[in-house]
Amino acid sequence: MLRRTAFSAAALVTAGTLLLAGCSGASDPSSSASAGEPNPDASVNIRLVLEPSNLDIRQTAGISLDQTLIDNVYQGLVARTAAGEIVDALASEHEVSADGLTYTFTLREGVVFHDGQPLTPQDVVASLTTRKATPEWADSERLANVASVTAEGQTITLTLSQPDSTLLWNLTGRAGIILKEGDAVDYNTAANGTGPFRVANWRQGASLTLERNDEYWGDTAQVADVTFDFIPDNQAAINAALAGEVDVLVGFDANMTDQVEGGGEFTVETGSATDKSVLAMNSTTGPLADVRVREAIRTAIDHDAIVEAVGAGQTLYGPIPEADPGYEDLSDVVTYDPEAARALLGEAGVEELSLTLTIPSAYSTTLSQILVSNLNDVGIDLKVDRVDFGTWLSDVYTNKDYELSVVNHAEPRDFENWADPDYYFTYDNPEVQSLFAQSLTATDDEAAAELLRQAARIVSEDHPADWLYNWASVVAVATNVTGMPVDNVNARINLAEIAKSDG
Amino acid sequence: MIRYALTRLALLLLGLVVASVLIFLTLRVLPGDVAQQIAGTNSTPQQVAAIREQLGLDVPLPVQYAEWIGGLLRGDLGTSLVTGTPVAAELAAKAQITVPLGLMSMVVAVVIALPFGIIAALRRGRADGTVLSFGAQAIAAVPVVWAGMMLVVVFAVWLDLLPAQGFPREGWRDPGRAFSALILPAVTIGVVEGAMLMRFVRSATLAAMGQDFVRTAAAKGLTRRAALLRHGLPTVGLSIISVLGLQVAGIVVGAVVIEQLFTLPGIGRMLVADVGLRDLPKVQGELLALTAVVLVVGFVVDLVHRGLDPRQREAS
Repeated sequence: MLRRTAFSAAALVTAGTLLLAGCSGASDPSSSASAGEPNPDASVNIRLVLEPSNLDIRQTAGISLDQTLIDNVYQGLVARTAAGEIVDALASEHEVSADGLTYTFTLREGVVFHDGQPLTPQDVVASLTTRKATPEWADSERLANVASVTAEGQTITLTLSQPDSTLLWNLTGRAGIILKEGDAVDYNTAANGTGPFRVANWRQGASLTLERNDEYWGDTAQVADVTFDFIPDNQAAINAALAGEVDVLVGFDANMTDQVEGGGEFTVETGSATDKSVLAMNSTTGPLADVRVREAIRTAIDHDAIVEAVGAGQTLYGPIPEADPGYEDLSDVVTYDPEAARALLGEAGVEELSLTLTIPSAYSTTLSQILVSNLNDVGIDLKVDRVDFGTWLSDVYTNKDYELSVVNHAEPRDFENWADPDYYFTYDNPEVQSLFAQSLTATDDEAAAELLRQAARIVSEDHPADWLYNWASVVAVATNVTGMPVDNVNARINLAEIAKSDG
Repeated sequence: MIRYALTRLALLLLGLVVASVLIFLTLRVLPGDVAQQIAGTNSTPQQVAAIREQLGLDVPLPVQYAEWIGGLLRGDLGTSLVTGTPVAAELAAKAQITVPLGLMSMVVAVVIALPFGIIAALRRGRADGTVLSFGAQAIAAVPVVWAGMMLVVVFAVWLDLLPAQGFPREGWRDPGRAFSALILPAVTIGVVEGAMLMRFVRSATLAAMGQDFVRTAAAKGLTRRAALLRHGLPTVGLSIISVLGLQVAGIVVGAVVIEQLFTLPGIGRMLVADVGLRDLPKVQGELLALTAVVLVVGFVVDLVHRGLDPRQREAS
């Protein structure tokens, strides 16, 4: 409850602020609500929560690199839209053979890297083969089924050792990024891609500025530059927005919507997202090895209350969110029922159960408070251990030394982790693993999705985790900014369309 | 005096050596490593192992320490595992924000503390003096984050006079903008530190008022206030120099919080990020540099104190 109190105090203060700002007549020129003609010299400032630790797209994980650099600076043969659809990018067209073993791409002509060098078919071959051969690069294992990459003229051919229904999707991500062969750029602090923006200025701990690439092969960007401001604190971000310092807020607390919208200069939009807030339960030892205890925990959790407290998103009862292939409404698997939860615990012969929840300290305390209260209701004493992310990675992720853990899994299409018994979920079901393997080798998208759907239902019925909710992508956009993507901005932010008017 | 300075210098060096060992060891207690951070949550153990090997993290601890100290003796603070940039260069770049921020905070603190502290002392027992003392106590107890938020709401959001966050991209090339970006953060730290300092000034002034030479001066016909200002304040000033030295540490801590709040890319924010990433070579370089600053300030303050205070000179 402490946090809620702090919240409302902050809200009151800001509400007062807005009243006063309204009285003073708000002389700010950007306050006009009517969007006029886009200004090609405009600069847009976008607030992000997480910042990259370096700019090395080859190796360094972290969603902030995908958000800022993929699509905008670096591109692959194919790309994905905000809605998750696969489209051509550096390839002008692509074709998959009926047996799913040969992928042919026609490489676009006239593409140049930011350093002025033209993109050659050899760059594509080198990028993909180096990626596959370099285990320390992110997602290199996603090219495991690629046996060879060859180029003839502008035609690039990928030959597979076995069909891989996820390959095209994977090529839209880190695995498929095309770099200049033997590039001398210092990838830690700079970039050399083919996208509509080039990296202009990176100030660690503050911001990353991209400027328009006037030599871009497609339609050039409609703004002169975009700056990502890394502001972790929500209230500080809202203050920056109200002071006119940022034009777009990504990933803020939906409960603060009124604060941002109050001045009339921002509108809050909610898009779909594939983020899953996963309550993992270590089922290898102790009481959690008993499926009845795990089911009891899921039954004790009031998912609707969580969604309401978070202020956005929707309930999710299985590992696949609505935006990904293989989704099915699994709400029939668990129903909020504390009475039934107590009965299940009794059946399992568990009394005075005490469990520890390990959760990264960067997350809001709302979730853990609801969990403590829900579980307490059915006689489970929940201790909350808030740790920094480095500790979480080591204790929970690497060593699997935990009982319960909550982490947001933002990546789309990541069902594979439920088919990997070595993943920190500790979930090991040969049937699921087999269904997933079949879905990988399926040559028909519908068939692949159907196999995932079956596997996801089995996972949910085994209760290896609880899916607390499916996050929504909440974005506040200044009224004079258009073309800001709203869906899945926790994964990617394609700025090709963004524009800003002086109005 | 020279013998004192040499002894004091030896202590300073010893302090640095002890600090280096402590910093090195305590950081090694942290769970997790930078390879896992770089690889992220969708990585394979093979990927993490490959990165670990690439970064040379498998070297035994004593060797790592020896390499670090060897580098320090050659004037090399080490290299970041994450960005590959030299720690010294990063520190120099971030210091351009944190040092001015610290100095500005100190000025604000002194400007608040000196007059109000002296007034509170002179007015002891009266209503206004009591209000001042209580006010200082209350402000000193205010969390820096909250104070900062309030200042932002008033001066950035309502009045639109100063930036709410961030530091200009072009840095000090536009001194006006750079300076204005630091005003709110500096005032935030300065007010809270100033309130603490004010309580100290008040008690130092009260102590000075009770001293023989002030009383003698007063007995010779000076007013109590004139006696204090003419004879008592120099001793107050001396003790304030010592306290200011101590406050350097407080301001460094304040900077860590304030740089987060105002998204200022200074040393504090860099330190927090690097600890989170487990970029230990960088963190230990940064911590040692900060420790050195605090120790050197203490050293200088001690020497100045001794040089200025006749009583201490006689004692040696």
